[in-house]
Amino acid sequence: MSGWESVLTSGIVLGSLYALMASGLTLVWSTLGIFNFMHGVLMTVGAYLAWQFAVDRGFGLGLGLGIVLAVVCLVALGCLVEILLIRPFYGRKDLVQVTVMTTLAGLTFLENSTLLIWGPRLKQLPPVVEGQFRLLGLTMSNQEALIVLLSPLILLALWVFLRFTRVGNAIRAVGQNRESAQLMGLNVQALFMTTFALATVLAGLAGVLLGSIRFITPTLGSDPLTKALIVSIFGGLGSVGGSIGAAYVVGMLEATSVFAFGLYWTPSILFVVMIVVLIFRPNGLFGRQS
Amino acid sequence: MRLRWAVGAVLLLLLVPLAVDNSYVRHLFILAFIYAVLASNWDFSQGYGGIFNFGHLSFFGLGAYSSGILIKQLEWNPWLALLVSGAVPVLAALLVGLPVVRLKGIYVVLVTFAFGQLCLQLILSQAGLTGGSQGLVSIEGLWLGDYALSADGKLGYYYVGLGLLALSTLYLRWLVRSDFGLSVQALRDQEEYAAARGISLPHTRLLTLMASSLFTGIAGGFYAIYLGVVSPDVFSFAITSTVLGMLLLGGLATIYGPILAAFIITFGSEVLVSLGPVRFLIIAGLTILVLRLLPGGLYSVLELFQSRPGRSVPTRQGRPE
Repeated sequence: MSGWESVLTSGIVLGSLYALMASGLTLVWSTLGIFNFMHGVLMTVGAYLAWQFAVDRGFGLGLGLGIVLAVVCLVALGCLVEILLIRPFYGRKDLVQVTVMTTLAGLTFLENSTLLIWGPRLKQLPPVVEGQFRLLGLTMSNQEALIVLLSPLILLALWVFLRFTRVGNAIRAVGQNRESAQLMGLNVQALFMTTFALATVLAGLAGVLLGSIRFITPTLGSDPLTKALIVSIFGGLGSVGGSIGAAYVVGMLEATSVFAFGLYWTPSILFVVMIVVLIFRPNGLFGRQS
Repeated sequence: MRLRWAVGAVLLLLLVPLAVDNSYVRHLFILAFIYAVLASNWDFSQGYGGIFNFGHLSFFGLGAYSSGILIKQLEWNPWLALLVSGAVPVLAALLVGLPVVRLKGIYVVLVTFAFGQLCLQLILSQAGLTGGSQGLVSIEGLWLGDYALSADGKLGYYYVGLGLLALSTLYLRWLVRSDFGLSVQALRDQEEYAAARGISLPHTRLLTLMASSLFTGIAGGFYAIYLGVVSPDVFSFAITSTVLGMLLLGGLATIYGPILAAFIITFGSEVLVSLGPVRFLIIAGLTILVLRLLPGGLYSVLELFQSRPGRSVPTRQGRPE
């Protein structure tokens, strides 16, 4: 029985992380209409920045202040990326394809930059909380429990922001109909930048959380990016809610598959499931026909 | 006009080994031949077909692994394995094409990307056949009777590589000008109109993918045989973005553009190799600059020097949603 308990635990932890990753990816897709291949590497950068500010070998400012400063840097980085790599191409018919290429180039750029700046040596963020706890027969380290708790809270905050604030509503309006939003006097350009910065912060926070349970390397984000990609396809790229639901489905699926078929076969199984889903539901598992 | 330039370039390349006997420089030429085949065949599905096939490098990897496995595990003759290494990716293209023809825009990117990852995962998990993460080493090279192609400073490989590039380019020229090639371009430019005129979208898209994977696979096979090694690195993101850089720097839907860019980037990154990871920063930066300032790539600059009125550069490649 202990096998299935650990499946459940790791499924929930993975699902929480994927939800955080995929929400940023979907937010950018549904608002800007581009697929951001840099999402994974922004996650890596977030983890490195927090490490740099927080630990004694870096600036030694402590974890709390470190994360705050990392978020500030991520906002700036997000704005910069939007201005340099995405903004010049709005209005082009092949926007989707061009930005796939520019964000890929950006991915190469940032990945090699982190390698140059921080070197290939493994780094790890200190855990916020130590120890373990048990609940309903499940054993989880406190750090993992924190991830499971924090991630829905961040997503809830995102939902409240998008739903109940002026800026959030404006972002959704721009995503639904760019021209009308512009006619209503919304500053589309500024909203795009805000959205991208927000998604960057979401990626970075996911990176900070991941960096406390895994080692930080320049390629920390590439595996989660692939998973977030699968999640967004399951959820249908359009809706943030759908992709959060899908994140937990994929997390559980992955944990179950690791338990039943082993670590080696799991990625293949996930990809096959994804391709099959797309054959029968080209708009994603929860996606609507558009 | 372009044909004259191409024939001139081939003649020049035929003479290069007479002037250059440094086997390292020849090695770079051979790599450039392989990259040029890879990039120009990608150009057929991407530039002419408008299909954003992110799995193009997986066709290359599959070609490399099929010849590696056939030679190493089944002890086939390398020449025969080289030919067969073109067939395996064509079958794979059929397989990946089935879901892809039903999808549009970004979903094509995602599925083909996922297909590449799937290939990588399968190769990693079948260690008995593929050598797992170590890959296959000491794959037997090509021989003509008693003459090893690696002898005399890789002279044989140089000419086989050049021949491969010439054949592949002829094939692509023929393909683009054929009725099939015209319908491929018609679908890219005016999907509804082309379909209304009786061009079958799924059928044509599927054949486009298969056609672009043939020489890509053979180039992969040649790569494995020439280096004597094949590792899962052939599926890596780094190679995909390098070749994508060649495609964009050269100019989409031009065939000769990506070939030219393959030479520039292969030799250019060799010059920059002492810079370490910085050279990837330079290539990435260049890619973005080209996309921004020179959407038609280098080839559009070359055409400025010709008297012909410039061709319009295709921009419409499928639509989002």
